[in-house]
Amino acid sequence: MTHWTDLQPRSFLEASARDRAIGLVDEGSFTELAGPFDRVTSPHLALLGDAVAFDDGIVTGVGKIGRTPVFVISQEGRFIGGSVGEIGGAKMVTAIKLAIDFHDDLVAQFDDLDEEEKPLVVISFETGGVRLHEANAGLLAHAEVMDQLQKARGKVPVIALIGSKVGAFGGMGFVAAATDVIIMSEFGRLGLTGPEVIEQEMGKEEFDASDRALVYRTTGGRHKFIMGDANFLVENTVAAFRDQVSALAGLSIEAFEEMRRIGSSAKVKAQLRAVALAAEMQPGDATDVWTRAGNTDAHALIDLPLPEFLATVRRLAV
Amino acid sequence: MDMQESMMGRGRDAIEMIVDAGSFAEGVVGAKSFDDPEFGPGAVVGTATLQGTVCTIIASDGGAMNEKFPVVYAGIIGLEEGYKMAEAVYASILEDAEKPLAEKRPLVLIVDTPGNGPGKVEEIFGMNKSTAAYQLALAEARLKGHPIIAMVIGRAISGAFLCHGLQADAILSLDAQFGTMIHVMPLTSVSRIIRKDLETLEVLSKQSAVFAAGPRFFHSLGGVEALVETLDGMRPAIVARIAEVRAAKLEGRQDDLGPWGRGKLGEARGGRIERPRVIEMMSRDFAAVADRYAPSR
Repeated sequence: MTHWTDLQPRSFLEASARDRAIGLVDEGSFTELAGPFDRVTSPHLALLGDAVAFDDGIVTGVGKIGRTPVFVISQEGRFIGGSVGEIGGAKMVTAIKLAIDFHDDLVAQFDDLDEEEKPLVVISFETGGVRLHEANAGLLAHAEVMDQLQKARGKVPVIALIGSKVGAFGGMGFVAAATDVIIMSEFGRLGLTGPEVIEQEMGKEEFDASDRALVYRTTGGRHKFIMGDANFLVENTVAAFRDQVSALAGLSIEAFEEMRRIGSSAKVKAQLRAVALAAEMQPGDATDVWTRAGNTDAHALIDLPLPEFLATVRRLAV
Repeated sequence: MDMQESMMGRGRDAIEMIVDAGSFAEGVVGAKSFDDPEFGPGAVVGTATLQGTVCTIIASDGGAMNEKFPVVYAGIIGLEEGYKMAEAVYASILEDAEKPLAEKRPLVLIVDTPGNGPGKVEEIFGMNKSTAAYQLALAEARLKGHPIIAMVIGRAISGAFLCHGLQADAILSLDAQFGTMIHVMPLTSVSRIIRKDLETLEVLSKQSAVFAAGPRFFHSLGGVEALVETLDGMRPAIVARIAEVRAAKLEGRQDDLGPWGRGKLGEARGGRIERPRVIEMMSRDFAAVADRYAPSR
C-alpha cells in the first residue's frame, strides 16, 4: 500500500478511489466501512456472468481532518465506469445517513460541540450514473441519495469533489448539483448528458463528441467555475483537494447553505436569470458565455496555467 | 393481457380525469402565478381540488414545444421546465408554511416524461441543476409534511423519472395494459451497451427484476407502491393514498414513505435484498469505531 505522504502529490485524476479516500483525510485516520474484506459483491453482475468487485466500485469510510469527522464516498471509474448499482448505491446512502445520525448523536451528547467537531460528507464522483446491469435498482438508489442530501440540509455539509476521468454525469450529475459545495480540478467534468448522446441528438456538426477540447469547454472544470457551478477550482493533486476540504471544515452550516447553487426559491430565481440569458444568447460555444462574463480574450483562458487563470478569470454574474 | 388505450402524451387529459370537475386553475400555485405562456411550456403546473382538498398539480404537456429550447418536446423536461416545477413546489411550501401538518396541501405529480433536455446549451448552462433543483424542492416539501403522490400514466424514463416521480411519498402506476413504460433504458439498448444478447437478458429478467422494463418489475422492486388497473381507478387511488400518507406523517412514520420507504418495500417484496445487508454491515462497522471520531472530552 502506498504511504499516505506519497499520496499527497499524486494526480487526483490518476489516483484510485481508495487512494483518494485515504489521502483526503488525515494520515492513519481512515476506516473503511463495508470494505473489500467484507466482500459485498453484486449478485446481479454474477447472474450475468460478469466480473464483480469486492467493494462494488465504491469506497465508503470515515476519517478525520483535524477535529472534523469526515465521511468519505469515493467512486472507482475503473470498475464499470464507476456506475451505481444496488450495493454501491446503498453504500452511498448509508454513508450519508450515518453522518446525519452521528451528527444528531454528538449534538445530543455534547452541549458545547463546536462546528469543527461536527461531521461532514465528502463525495468523490467518478461515474456516469446508473449501472445498466442492474439499472432499476441503481435508479432507485439515486433517489435515495437525493433524499439523504435533503435530510442532511441544515446539519451535515456535503462536499462534491470532481476531478476524475469519468466525471459526474447522468443521475449522479443531479446528485453532484444538489450538494452544498463543488470542488473541481480542470480535468473534472460535470453535466447530465454525456457527449456521445448530445452528438446523437444534435448531429456531429453541432456537437462532435470526439473533439476533446469542445467536451472540456462545455462541461470541464474551468467552464463550470466560470458558470458558478463549481465553487472552487484546484490543482490536480490529492493534496489540493484535501487542502480545499480542510479549509471548509468548521464553517457554519449557514455558510455552506450560501455556497449552494440550488436548494431554495431564491436560488432557483437566480438560476432562472441564467436560463433567460441562455435563451437570449443561444450560445454556439461555452466561450461565448465566457466572453459575456467579461473575459475579453475568452480563448486565451483555455490553456492559461491554472494560477494565472484563477487570477484573471471573470465569473458569470446574473 | 388486454391492451387498453394509452395515456401517453395526455397529461392534460389525466388532470381532468383525476381532479374535481372544472377545478384546475393552471399557472397559479399559492401566491405565485406563472403568467408567461412561453415559459417552460412542457411543464403544466397549477392548483385544483381533489374531493374538496386543495392540491398542487404538476404534469408534463406532451404536445408542447419550447421555442427557446428546441430539445423540449413530447414531454421532455428542459431547463425552464425543471425550474418551473421547482417554483411550483416552493410556492406550495410557502403558502402552507404556517399551517399544521394535517393541512399541508398534497402535491400530485402526473408522470409522463421521456427524458431531460439533452443539448449543448443545456450542458453549457447546467441541465443537471434544473432537475436537481426540482428534486430537492420535492424532498423538502415531503419532509415538511406535504403528501406527494406520483401517478405514472405513460413514460417514466430514467433521469426524468428521478426528477419527476421518484421523490414522491408514494408512486402509483397504470398497469402494463396501458403501455406504461418505466425503465432506465429499453432492454434492446441495454443489450447493445453491456454486450449481452437480448435473449439472455429476457430470460434473466424473469428471474431478476433489476434490469427489466415495466411497471410490474418496478412494483416487485418496491419502486412503485401500487398498480392501478383502470383509468377511473386513478382518482380514488390517489385520494386514498393521500389519506394514508397523511396519516403516516401525522404518526411520524416518514421513514415508511418516499425513497427510504420504497427501500424497505423492496426488501419486503424480495426485489432488493442486498440493500438492507449493506446498511446493516456499515452501521455495525461504524458503531465499532464511532468513539474514535467523537470529541475526546
